[in-house]
Amino acid sequence: MLSRVADSLYWMSRYMERADGILRMLKINYASSQDDVQEFSWMPVLRIFTYMDEEGAGKISQNTRAVLQYMVTDRENSNSVLNIITHARENARSVQDHITKELWQCLNDFYHLVRDEKLNRDLHKEDPVSILDVLIKQGMLYFGTLDVTMARGEGYAFINIGKYLERGVQSADILDVKFSDLRYDFRNTDTTYWKYLLLSISGYELYLKTYRSGFDARNVVEQIVLNDEFPRSVLYSVDRVHRYFERLKSERNNESFQKIDFMIGRILSKVRYSTVESIMALGLHAYLIGIKEDLYEVGNALNQNYFAYT
Amino acid sequence: MQTSELLNSYSVDPGTWDEMYSDLSVRGQYRGVVNFMQQMSIEELNKKEELAKRLFMSQGITFTVYSSGEGIEKIFPFDIIPRIITATEWKYIEEGIKQRLKALNLFLKDVYSNQFILKDGIVPVEMVYSCPHYLREMHGFHVPHDLYVHIAGIDLIRDHDGTFYILEDNLRTPSGVSYMLENREITKRIFPDLLPNNNVRSVTDYPNILHKNLVSLSPRQTSHPTVVVLTPGIYNSAYFEHTTLARLMGVELVEGRDLLIDNHRVFMKTTAGLQQVDVIYRRVDDEFLDPLVFNPDSMLGVAGIMSAYRKGNVAIVNAIGNGVADDKAIYTYVPAMIRYYLNEEPILKNVPTYQLGHPDEREHVFTNMQKMVIKRTNESGGYGMLMGHSASDEEISKYKMEILKDPRQFIAQPIISLSSAPCYMNGRLKPRRVDLRPYALCGPEGIQIVPGGLTRVALREGSLVVNSSQGGGSKDTWVLAG
Repeated sequence: MLSRVADSLYWMSRYMERADGILRMLKINYASSQDDVQEFSWMPVLRIFTYMDEEGAGKISQNTRAVLQYMVTDRENSNSVLNIITHARENARSVQDHITKELWQCLNDFYHLVRDEKLNRDLHKEDPVSILDVLIKQGMLYFGTLDVTMARGEGYAFINIGKYLERGVQSADILDVKFSDLRYDFRNTDTTYWKYLLLSISGYELYLKTYRSGFDARNVVEQIVLNDEFPRSVLYSVDRVHRYFERLKSERNNESFQKIDFMIGRILSKVRYSTVESIMALGLHAYLIGIKEDLYEVGNALNQNYFAYT
Repeated sequence: MQTSELLNSYSVDPGTWDEMYSDLSVRGQYRGVVNFMQQMSIEELNKKEELAKRLFMSQGITFTVYSSGEGIEKIFPFDIIPRIITATEWKYIEEGIKQRLKALNLFLKDVYSNQFILKDGIVPVEMVYSCPHYLREMHGFHVPHDLYVHIAGIDLIRDHDGTFYILEDNLRTPSGVSYMLENREITKRIFPDLLPNNNVRSVTDYPNILHKNLVSLSPRQTSHPTVVVLTPGIYNSAYFEHTTLARLMGVELVEGRDLLIDNHRVFMKTTAGLQQVDVIYRRVDDEFLDPLVFNPDSMLGVAGIMSAYRKGNVAIVNAIGNGVADDKAIYTYVPAMIRYYLNEEPILKNVPTYQLGHPDEREHVFTNMQKMVIKRTNESGGYGMLMGHSASDEEISKYKMEILKDPRQFIAQPIISLSSAPCYMNGRLKPRRVDLRPYALCGPEGIQIVPGGLTRVALREGSLVVNSSQGGGSKDTWVLAG
């Protein structure tokens, strides 16, 4: 496979995962903004998912519609869903001969959908959940089409490596920022707070089934970092990166493979043999930052060893 | 409004050959389509048109127009009513094009080797040497199988009496074939059963024939040679076509930056290291192909590719330097080439063409400017031309000044009216002018022309310019079997 093609598939996939994460998170935070009697703020969301400075974020953090528009359809915000989908599509466009026609059309339809002027207007005056749902469904269509139509070759491996790297970073980010919001106070037992955090990464039901004793910050950390059955946990994501990377093993590029395989294996062991206690001992923030840096390293190594073409 | 009325209100421009109507009756080949449309309401037809637009948009069969820093996706306008060619007409076109390509290919071989045709005075020497597309770099180099033109798009038009004329030969990187294929796919979707009921010949073989030809050109004796399509990249207006062809042939689509030259061989950079490339179907112009030999500023090409080509380590399709054969001034001599190389009379006629480099002919053109279309010999896409009947006196005198600066760069032709075909526009049928570009594939085993082509339409009323850059659209083009 051409290096450029592998690069584009990887980034198409990362962008699509990012868009999905942002949309779900927006939907749940919106619900939270309607539910919360305390002063709800969009500040953590703006901090994780945008490059806005504190002052700019402070200005709109109480204005739900303004945040939604900024995050979904704003052309100036480089991390808006509109711009992310545009990047994903540009990448897909340059590798149309490597993805199925169905997948390309699905992504292309998403692109036209998110750029529709009507959507932008509706976001301002209609029920935001309905609009976010339409976008989330278009994303689901992408993931489903990918799963059903794409050949399980090298390209598929790069797509999944991109997807799970992005997801691992995103989960670590969400957890870190939510806790920083509480100044890493693990005694917080505010049910609503934890409920919406878990809902935003589709982990609420699983939490209820796993832990029957109400909300405890430690349990939340355990699920989001260490639960290997939770598809958004850091452990699950790293495990998938590892699994899909193994498929790239080939005689011709053995040296590069060994190097990156070692890196991923080390991160996987680090997460797998962590416990909530060991994480707390190190400090949650330091732990998450460490994981994120390790994952970025993998991205850089892939770039140097597999994607370099210029 | 009823559709029967729709057809009754159709009026053909006087003095024009209409593809559907003759003397107010529907030509045989169009009866099936006309009957079919008469069973439909205007609302249904509008829905079909809407569906066609949506399908183009959704499939990304679009080109991007950049304005104020933002890309806007546009579709190439598509008219839902097919253009229909009878089996007899097709047989004639097919023979004519094959004959012409045979001669043009021999001309290229000759002009880059012994130059008999120049020595015998059939084509003036200065015509060849003054052509910017004549590349000395190609002289004395034998291309595989003596094939220069592998893919050709030959533009045909029809005069008021229905006679076909060759308007232009495109022997470099003719585009539009993806629209031939996609327009057909759209027709299948919007008019179910219409194609089989009308006995329309299929065009789907095109990518398979092309692929077979490309594989057969591989300089390496290997069972699976690496064939690639070379594109300038996603910002090229024909990018959709490049990716479609790569996909339909199942070969890699590469950009210049994906390739490198090592020891006069071409390699592509893959995730598993370098992989040798055997055949390149390039959609990058000669000028940009190799910065070491041609334009040094080119970012689209591959440094050193020309040396690999000359060593015979890679096949490049179409050959480099073909521009000397589809130059608008050389065009005049194609009938003479056919007589010279093949000892045959040309089947398809040329449009009479005046060389403005020639003082007598220039004088004749200058006194008859209103009846002429004047073109630059090295431009295509409808750019830089003057339609004498619609230009103002000021435009004409300005253009004359341009011509006098470098007369060799201009030719003139009497304005040919172009045949018209019915187009569905805002609930009405309107005659609009069309041309026809069939695509010919030449391999070591001969020339094959897929029965069909691209019909371009001048969508503006009264316009004779069909180029997409000048507001043209396209139609699905049917060739009927027997």
